[in-house]
Amino acid sequence: MIFDEATLRKLNQLTLASSRVRAGMIKGERRSTKRGTSIEFADYRNYTPGDDLRRLDWNVYARLDRPFIKLLEEEEDLAVHILVDLSRSMDWGDGESNKLHYALCLAAAMGSIALSSGDRLTVTTLQSGKVSAQFGPSRGAQNLVQMLNFLEGLKANGHTNLNQSVREYSLEARRPGLAFILSDLFSPAGYQDGIYLLQSKGYEVSILHILAPDEMDPPLAGDLRLVDVETGQAEEVSLDGGLREIYRHSLKAWQENFQNEFRKRGIRYMKLVTDTAWDKVVLYEMRKQGVVK
Amino acid sequence: MSFLAPFFLFLSILALPILLMYMLKLRRREVRVSSTLLWQAVLRDRQANTPWKKLRRNLLLLLQLLILVGLVVALARPAVATPSISSGSLVVLLDASASMRASDVDPSRFEAARAAVRTLIDGLSGSAQMTLIQAGFRPKVLASAENDRTELRHALQSATPTNGPVDWKTAFALAAGAASAEQGGAGAASPATIVIVSDGGLPETGLPPLPGEVRYMPVGTFANNLAISALALRPAGNNLELFTSLANYSDQPRQVVLSIYRNGELLNAQTVELLPNDETGVSLPDLPTGEAIFEARLEPAGTQEGPLDALPLDDTAFAVSQGQKNRRILVVSKGNFFLEQVLSALQGVTVYRALPSAASNEGAGGGIQLPQESFDLYVLDGILPTAPDSNLPVLPEGNLLLINPPPTALFNVTGTFTETQEARVADHPLTQFLDWREVQIAKARHVQLPAWAETLVSAGDNPLVFAGETDGRRIAVLTFDLHDTDLPLQIAYPILIANLINYLAPVQSIDAPENLLPGESVTILPGLGIQEVAVASPAGAVSTMRPNENGLLFSETGELGVYAVNFLKEKSQSVEYFAVNLFSEGESDIKPAATIQIGRTKISASEQEKLGKRELWPWFALAAFIVLVLEWWTYHRRL
Repeated sequence: MIFDEATLRKLNQLTLASSRVRAGMIKGERRSTKRGTSIEFADYRNYTPGDDLRRLDWNVYARLDRPFIKLLEEEEDLAVHILVDLSRSMDWGDGESNKLHYALCLAAAMGSIALSSGDRLTVTTLQSGKVSAQFGPSRGAQNLVQMLNFLEGLKANGHTNLNQSVREYSLEARRPGLAFILSDLFSPAGYQDGIYLLQSKGYEVSILHILAPDEMDPPLAGDLRLVDVETGQAEEVSLDGGLREIYRHSLKAWQENFQNEFRKRGIRYMKLVTDTAWDKVVLYEMRKQGVVK
Repeated sequence: MSFLAPFFLFLSILALPILLMYMLKLRRREVRVSSTLLWQAVLRDRQANTPWKKLRRNLLLLLQLLILVGLVVALARPAVATPSISSGSLVVLLDASASMRASDVDPSRFEAARAAVRTLIDGLSGSAQMTLIQAGFRPKVLASAENDRTELRHALQSATPTNGPVDWKTAFALAAGAASAEQGGAGAASPATIVIVSDGGLPETGLPPLPGEVRYMPVGTFANNLAISALALRPAGNNLELFTSLANYSDQPRQVVLSIYRNGELLNAQTVELLPNDETGVSLPDLPTGEAIFEARLEPAGTQEGPLDALPLDDTAFAVSQGQKNRRILVVSKGNFFLEQVLSALQGVTVYRALPSAASNEGAGGGIQLPQESFDLYVLDGILPTAPDSNLPVLPEGNLLLINPPPTALFNVTGTFTETQEARVADHPLTQFLDWREVQIAKARHVQLPAWAETLVSAGDNPLVFAGETDGRRIAVLTFDLHDTDLPLQIAYPILIANLINYLAPVQSIDAPENLLPGESVTILPGLGIQEVAVASPAGAVSTMRPNENGLLFSETGELGVYAVNFLKEKSQSVEYFAVNLFSEGESDIKPAATIQIGRTKISASEQEKLGKRELWPWFALAAFIVLVLEWWTYHRRL
């Protein structure tokens, strides 16, 4: 069971500690650089005493004789989309270091924060180039247990094709908002097209790159035949100290490549290793990066 | 290079499995990874960067094949043909005679011989043994059945040439003994080979046969030697005459300057013409007598440059002239005309007669008193003298000639005998030139021959004349009265008496033959009262000896030149000299012999006739081991 007592307690604490899931800096600034200078009108809301009168739409009041508050885009409830890579490569690692376990814990943490903040949460799984399961959209803390149950039952299967699956997700009619992709990014078919499409649809994308420690520094040596758990492809390699060094180097370069590319496009990118406690990650790292408030 | 055990080369077939293992795919352990995405990139990267890895696998294969090759070749026992005389055990006779010091081969023949033996040592196969015998006047075994090459080289280095001839008989006996010992003891496949490293000069006859194979390695290139082959002093009238003989052992006529020195002063120098292969005598008369040391030297005649000849050892000779010392002889006799007559005819003696004692009482033997002074020889004719103080018959201390002796403490006298017809003369230096055939003896005393005496003339089992040494003195006995025989009328009489007197009262205390060769022994007879004898060699080495009852034997005569013998008495000392020269035609004729004759076999020089084999397998095994270490290191570079 992924979500045991200890985990649930941690979730609680996190929820209390954070108020909103949001990405980026102060609304205004980011909004302005992104969308131009005007504040866009989104919707009306009934006036309740205490609201800011500057927001009152006087034209409507004049016509209908009832006060309505103009809702700006920002004040719309935030849609939080959590996309979890459920390909077979995610089921790697033992116990607490299992990437899937880690991803699901992170998803649960962010999900519960979103729900308690009144955001519109959607949790989706990506598998074999498609969207395989979905939870929500739901709003409110009463859906927490349901979400946890949903997450609990998830099993890793299939291969990774982020391009395809993310693309599919973005094409479906949805309210864009914050999108969090939890994956190991081992996608041979690429990832860029899907993610950039998502972004172009109006989502604010954050990538949480999850890797296991033995993927960072594989404890392998000798003449080996490496078999990919997803594809079944084999690579023959004679490992020695020198080759491992090259691998580490390669991995570092790969991650740096992600960092540079995503930064250029304004996509948040976080490198996570499963041996770091996930609650700490949410509490500190994410706060630092501005993912969580 | 050849292989002594080529069968093992078949093991090289093991190379096939090694190659197969490398050609077939490496068995790899299967490991599941989350994704090979990154690994693909890594492998792509690696291909470009490190050719070492690809090479390394081939390198390991190469190293393993090299190890296999090294081991297989080592097992097959490769051997390289090395020039050597023989491939089994060797007994080497190294000629250390004077002629080996000739310088016709630079630096000397002996060094060349040493180098030749060194190549023999180097060419010894692994299990072979070598016995090294230095053949000189006293052949010496330097190394016996030695396998260790370092020891052999050490022994070879300690060999030195001598100044004299070689006792080949003894050397051959030693070699024969060593050869049969090696064969029997080691049980080697091939019997020991005897190698003679020499310049020839072996005697034609008289050598014992040698077992097994005999090889001859000649040393020396040409003969170009002049020598003084004789130097002698003879009394001529009242003076001395020096006689010397020069020999030219080369094929050219030579001109040479002969210089004679007396006590270091040049006496005479003359140029002598020598014909090729010829000897010339030179004599120098009218030389003063007295104690002196004469030296004869050969020097190059005026125009010739460089050394005189290849062997300078025989270009100098020495002769010693001892002053005439008269020997004092005391005759104790009742009157014997024949005795007195013959003794007074001898040269170099002063004869004294013991007078009858004052109170002459006719007791046993008569009353002739022994004088107080000491004499070199006492002649006792039939009676014993009485001691000065006790009037009892006594045997004088010192050398004795007893004629018709009464019973004494020295031997038993039991009656007389008359069967003296069949007299036999023993072969002895004292009976030289003695013809006893006409001598008749009426009767003689029956004397039991003492253990220390040798019979010189005997009739049947009874000695007529005998002599010997005992208690540090020499005694000769004639068992018959001179009046009972016609010996004094024969020519044998003065000869016998002269021989006996020379034996009993020698001129010199040193009994050295005139041409004493290096290595020969000298008997020194210190007289009474000598406490210590010190002999100094020409180079100055002194050896001291204490006189004992048997006379002293001095054999350290390896050096050429004049030796000084000091007789140390309590309060005085006297010196006598003797000379050691290389008067040996065998050594002075330094012509190297191409063949030598042993018994009936003629052996010619064998230069690298048989090729020995030197095994190389240790080197291959070592190489294989080094490559093994290298392979281990290369393999472990991965981790």
